[in-house]
Amino acid sequence: MSIRMGGRNGVKKRFRKQTQTALFKRKKVCRFSGKNPEVVDYKNIDLLKDFVSETGKIIPARITGTSAKFQRQVTVAVKRARFLALLSFTDNH
Amino acid sequence: MESNEVIASETRHYELVLMVHPDQSEQVPGMIDRCKSFVTTRGGTVHRVEDWGRRQLAYPILKVAKAHYLLFNIECSKSDVRELDRSFKFNDAIIRHLCVLSSGIPEGSSAMMRVVQQEAAKKVETGVSSQEN
Repeated sequence: MSIRMGGRNGVKKRFRKQTQTALFKRKKVCRFSGKNPEVVDYKNIDLLKDFVSETGKIIPARITGTSAKFQRQVTVAVKRARFLALLSFTDNH
Repeated sequence: MESNEVIASETRHYELVLMVHPDQSEQVPGMIDRCKSFVTTRGGTVHRVEDWGRRQLAYPILKVAKAHYLLFNIECSKSDVRELDRSFKFNDAIIRHLCVLSSGIPEGSSAMMRVVQQEAAKKVETGVSSQEN
């Protein structure tokens, strides 16, 4: 069976199963769209800390539920905050 | 030509963040005045100035762990802000600077200023409580 499906299709099915059975089952909503949207600001590090992991890496949008447009803004904001030493690049400085 | 004149005098909103070396914190008020006068003499406007004070850095810069942060929201022409930005590069007291286009006149104080004020309020509280004890 796996031989016929081909490499890419097999990986996709496995991937979808993993995200469904993992902890991230509930649908997360983008915090920057819809009602009462928050504004992405590199100076608002309390907000940005939610999108950065414990090790300082930017968390992918499929986990935070952010839409693509705002994930790009978040990325720019995090990189600016890192430049200004408001956020760290890594956890072992 | 008219269109060229319009383009030359078109002003944009910029946001500047400066990080001053902590040993030169006394020069900060002078620096703020100099920046303000630089902008206003060239026909720009300063919408907001914030002094976040000395903050702990997330990682050491030039072997120092703290820096004095300043925020400016100005409206001026492209050439003025470029000149101002370049002047920061040659100022030894300024260790980092970021100049960003912003979308309009800012409202109220920034999110960081609110955090700074909360921290200051907490410090006052703990200071008072330790005095009482």
